[in-house]
Amino acid sequence: MANLGRLDWYDLARTTNWTPTYVQEDELFPPEMSGSMGIPMPAWESYDEPYKQTYPEYVKIQREKDAGAYSVKAALERSKMFENADPGWLSVLKAHFGAIARAEYSASTAEARMARFGKAPGMRNMATMGMLDEIRHGQIQLYFPHEYCPKDRQFDWAHKAYDTNEWAILASRHMFDDMMTTRGAVDTALMLTFAFETGFTNMQFLGLAADAAEAGDWTFSNLISSVQTDESRHAQIGAPLVAILIKNGKKAEAQKMVDIGIWRAWKIFSVLTGPMMDYYTPLEHRKQSFKEFMEEWIVTQFERSLIDLGLDKPWFWDQFLEELNYQHHGMHLGVWYWRPTVWWNPAAGVSPEERAWLEEKYPGWNATWGTNWDVITDNLLAGKRELSYPETLPVVCNMCQLPINATPGPTWKVRDFPLDYKGRTYHFCSEGCQWCFEQEPERYKGHLSLIDRFLAGMVQPMNLAGGLQYMGLAPGEIGDDAHNYAWVEKVRAARQKAAA
Amino acid sequence: MALFPLTSNFQGDFVLQLLPVDTENTMDEVAAAAAHHSVGRRVPARPGHTMRVRQQGAKEPLPRTLKVSESGLKPMECIEVIWE
Repeated sequence: MANLGRLDWYDLARTTNWTPTYVQEDELFPPEMSGSMGIPMPAWESYDEPYKQTYPEYVKIQREKDAGAYSVKAALERSKMFENADPGWLSVLKAHFGAIARAEYSASTAEARMARFGKAPGMRNMATMGMLDEIRHGQIQLYFPHEYCPKDRQFDWAHKAYDTNEWAILASRHMFDDMMTTRGAVDTALMLTFAFETGFTNMQFLGLAADAAEAGDWTFSNLISSVQTDESRHAQIGAPLVAILIKNGKKAEAQKMVDIGIWRAWKIFSVLTGPMMDYYTPLEHRKQSFKEFMEEWIVTQFERSLIDLGLDKPWFWDQFLEELNYQHHGMHLGVWYWRPTVWWNPAAGVSPEERAWLEEKYPGWNATWGTNWDVITDNLLAGKRELSYPETLPVVCNMCQLPINATPGPTWKVRDFPLDYKGRTYHFCSEGCQWCFEQEPERYKGHLSLIDRFLAGMVQPMNLAGGLQYMGLAPGEIGDDAHNYAWVEKVRAARQKAAA
Repeated sequence: MALFPLTSNFQGDFVLQLLPVDTENTMDEVAAAAAHHSVGRRVPARPGHTMRVRQQGAKEPLPRTLKVSESGLKPMECIEVIWE
């Protein structure tokens, strides 16, 4: 007897909104877990997921994907990629795995909440597979870097980072906990799957896979492509949800959560992806600048998705576009200057050739960011490396937890955005971060930034050694210049040539 | 005499920095403390210029001999240190 085709039974099989008789609907779907905004049950049944997949299909395809990724890894294990890779590329790997691998496990709990408490049957079905996806992403992105641990201790941070109070992880955890582990199914779907995954990670993984292939790291390129194929499926959980919310008069609520998600995702991207693309990736392997990548893949495509679904561009869109010109340059300079406080070795990326590229991609870079790098470079040329290390902490934002920074030099646009709330003054990096806080001040008010903790005496002794200990950075793990300052000699040679 | 944290925003620099000072410090001493973390590290020195302290957004700098304890500055308030 022939089996029915999937489309002949799929709709019937996922019709699982049975009428409960032993409990009330709100006991089965507690409002704080489902986050359903009072929208009645029949409305949720109109949720129509664009990507229909059954569990047997899922298992078969995932098995093939895993077989592909693991076989490429096995085949290339004896290659000399690690030994031959540019140190800047290894820093990309370290930063990526530390910030992402364990967050994937966190994401699996977010998907699990949607799988259990989402009121739309289709959402529950997609999220069940999304939950398994994220477990896979956690495992595979821990397993792959594990082989590098004996060669380089910083790779241990793929697993370790998330359990520490290192500042970049505080920032990462603050954002991911906000959108993945502490909200109901609807808000999670809007912020995680729609704003973060549809808007950002799906495209970032494509970009990163391309950079990896260009850098000759086929194992990582294959891994990240494999992850991306899952993302592109489960990221679609959010879009049909937006349609239901708008149809039921909840556009403002949906817009707000999407806007918070976009703003928060942007800030994390500016510190992780921006420096990777414009400074760490070796010049000859760069496909396009971070700004070009963002404009082509994130701004244009995501703007279209928002409008097509009936949402508006976020109120901060112009500010966001403006920040594409400068925010990641400041994040990079901050990471490099405070390099002992990260688990990877930041590549300065400011040799004469690289500065020429930066000036071409970001006209005016030399007259602004270049002025700060000039002083650093002069100190290193003069053998005064001690002046290229910090003796205090940067002040970080009480929302994104990242250093408050902006364009330096003659234009000097740095400023604080302070806000008093219930007797405490909070400091923000931007209108966007302050606005996120003001939407739900009771939610965020108790969090202590690294600076708040330092001032509260939680970091002892109150110096760099105490700070590194608080952040869990052991000797052999703390960051330093990726190329051991070889770029400084390129500057010296260029200056000598110019003077001759 | 008490430790007093401020936020330093030094003209020409790119980032806000934690600036521990003393309540008895004058604004000139605050400016010098801020300069230690910016000038010669990322901001070029400007010989012949004076550094002045002002509250964020203020047009006029605070008097040079004014003490932190007399200034009305709040803990972690952002001060701008500018060349004059």
